[in-house]
Amino acid sequence: MTSKLKFRSLLLATAVAFSSLAAPASWADTLRVAMGYDPVSLDPIATSDNGSIWTQLLIYDTLIRPDKSGTGLEPGLAESWTVSDDGLTLSFKLRDAKFSDGSPVTAEDVQYSIERAGSKASGWGRFFNPITGFEIVNDREIVMTLDKPFTPAFNNLALFAAAILPKKLLEEKGEAFFDAPVGSGPFVLKDWTRGASITLDKNPYYWQAGKPAVDGAVLEVVTEPSARAIKLEAGEVDVALDPPLNQLDALAKETGITTGEVIPYRADFVLMNTTRAPFDDLRVRQALNYAVDKEALVKGVLYGRGKPAASAMPVMKYADPDLAPYPYDPAKAKALLAEAGYPDGFEAELAVDSGKATSRNAAIALQAMLQQVGVKLKVQMLESGTQWQTTKAGNYDMAVSYTTSDTIDPDQIIGFVAVNPERANAYHTQWKDERLNDLYVDERKTVNGPEREAMFKEMVQRLHDGAPFVFLFHPATAWAQRDYVKGFEILPTSNFRLEDVTLDK
Amino acid sequence: MIQVIFKRLLMLVPVLIGITLIGFLLLQVMPGDAAERAMGTRASAEELAEMRRLWGLDLPIWQQYLLFLRDCLTGSFGVSIFHKKAVITLVAERLPFTLGIVALSTLIALVIALPFASLAAVRRGRPADHAIRQIFVALIAVPPFWLSYVLILWLSLRLGWFPTGGVGEGLAENLYRLFLPSLVVGLSTAALIQQTLRAALIDTMKADYVDTARAKGLRRHEIFLRHVMPNSLISTISIIGVRVSWIIGGTVVVEKIFSVPGLGSLLIDAIVSRDLPVIRGLTVFFAIMVVIVNLITDILYALADPRVRLE
Repeated sequence: MTSKLKFRSLLLATAVAFSSLAAPASWADTLRVAMGYDPVSLDPIATSDNGSIWTQLLIYDTLIRPDKSGTGLEPGLAESWTVSDDGLTLSFKLRDAKFSDGSPVTAEDVQYSIERAGSKASGWGRFFNPITGFEIVNDREIVMTLDKPFTPAFNNLALFAAAILPKKLLEEKGEAFFDAPVGSGPFVLKDWTRGASITLDKNPYYWQAGKPAVDGAVLEVVTEPSARAIKLEAGEVDVALDPPLNQLDALAKETGITTGEVIPYRADFVLMNTTRAPFDDLRVRQALNYAVDKEALVKGVLYGRGKPAASAMPVMKYADPDLAPYPYDPAKAKALLAEAGYPDGFEAELAVDSGKATSRNAAIALQAMLQQVGVKLKVQMLESGTQWQTTKAGNYDMAVSYTTSDTIDPDQIIGFVAVNPERANAYHTQWKDERLNDLYVDERKTVNGPEREAMFKEMVQRLHDGAPFVFLFHPATAWAQRDYVKGFEILPTSNFRLEDVTLDK
Repeated sequence: MIQVIFKRLLMLVPVLIGITLIGFLLLQVMPGDAAERAMGTRASAEELAEMRRLWGLDLPIWQQYLLFLRDCLTGSFGVSIFHKKAVITLVAERLPFTLGIVALSTLIALVIALPFASLAAVRRGRPADHAIRQIFVALIAVPPFWLSYVLILWLSLRLGWFPTGGVGEGLAENLYRLFLPSLVVGLSTAALIQQTLRAALIDTMKADYVDTARAKGLRRHEIFLRHVMPNSLISTISIIGVRVSWIIGGTVVVEKIFSVPGLGSLLIDAIVSRDLPVIRGLTVFFAIMVVIVNLITDILYALADPRVRLE
């Protein structure tokens, strides 16, 4: 008898304990975001993964930052600036801002941070080491000088790697600084459980008065896209980043949930190995471009979220809005193939990163489309790292790939996808265009302005005409959120700013 | 007993040397390296070379191997290239969650398998036995990712009884949050042990001492609980031991769906990013775990059955 009673009371106690856990945490003014990446580190010069970048951009500030359209720059920690006509002198006036420990942001901190970003220990050194001289005019004015003109250096200061860190604290603590980082951004790191979540408190000293409106934010690491959507539906998070594309419409239909999208700095395309026949023939490469129905791809693979691409350059500064993608013209594709000596088409292998759903689905769609002009593709699914190695070594016919830009300056990407010889030799296609190479050398020395813009326009045109890639699309980045979240959006740089978010519950 | 335990632990040494060597060499053959994964599309060849130098990836292989052995002996098991922390630290952060799933899922498996195996054994050959077999065969066949989402949809979204995943603070909250992932793992474990347990029960019920007990006048359920069940559970111990060794690194799918930062996810993420020190360190760690689990299983076996001698 007594054992039965004991058992029942134990059961009751357990039920009561569990039920108290079922109540959600009542942080009325905390924004909860489900994101798919776990940050690796909070050191701006040591990381390149999305999780780290997005978190760093909430904790630190840069001198300048990309504006919401993605094609221009707006003031960050720098209130105003001037660039000399020869591009060798950059002067900045800093605003009255404080770090999260109350100490002011000074020109010394700026010099220290940029020198650190350009140093040998930095993974981003090449972006900043053209800045060779620093002159501290006073606490809030600094002048940077370059030995040789390198125009991207200015735009690169908007990169997350150029975050301004407090010199004194970093020198004191060294690497340990990043366990409890201090920045001038809207939030301060409160807790980081690796693989699980990042908890942020608002920075009481943030330079935009009255912001952030929320008291804190929790970034939950949820690597499965479906799981993020489910968490949003269950009410466990307020915003879910990158839900599965095929669930977006269903999510938008649910009461209380809205979706949003933005086109980030990304372009998807298929590489063609121009050292192998038949891809060494321009007509064949152009034919393949005509044979692909990009609108259908956007509808079918991206569920309508994205737009056809005219080039391998993402839509960013100096992008050409008038450049039209290759139209869908299978007849012309067949004619070009016949002209090049392949009236019955040919066979080729298409290497695909099996881990990326968009690439996989695009590959299958491409296989069907190219079949219609007689090109038989054998799709080879490879693990991500292996696919990268294979294309890099030149062991491929065609490969599905994409590029994203970290910086608003198109110099980084054009150097990667179009210039040969350079870091990647036209993204491993080995395509070469002398005129484009010459323009590349010139544009880095030319100050920002209409002259530089014209150079990029010409380079992109030549890349479009030379067609070392089958241009596909610019996929959109989507998110789903609760209706009571106002002011949340993802920027073209793929990160999100939270200082404008309010929760209208 | 102590001597035997000591001898078994000593056997760890050649096993580990073999594992470190094989694991190390196999990883060298893998295409792609950490520097490219980190900065691939952005860095020039010189920058990648510089990064490899910073991370010690350009040292001759035998030197890297010796450094790795040193790390294993000093207990750090290597330093992660990306997280910049010792592998053992990363493991310590995630071990509680993995162990939580191990413990909870084994408990759930026993709670489910025992009653059903008993029922099937007692009602052998009858409709109940057949029905139970069908259900448990289905449980073995069910893919964990499907089961996970079904449970989330029903128990979390529709009924709101459990959160959809993640981990929390403190023992109570973690047990609550780990219940669903443990249920998924536990159901397959239950399916695995149910059949053998049933067979063992049937065999034991035929034994002479059971007849003696009946002759002595013990009631049926007393005989079952005090004699038949304990003697049959012994075979289950071995299966659970093997299963636990697998769970420690093998529940990646469940971890990813429920956002549990466990050891399986650590391994997979390290493989994708080519974080070689973590892959190597984890391989050695898992090998040690398997040896220890086997040892514990054997000890329990010897304790449970006095006829078995530990050697």
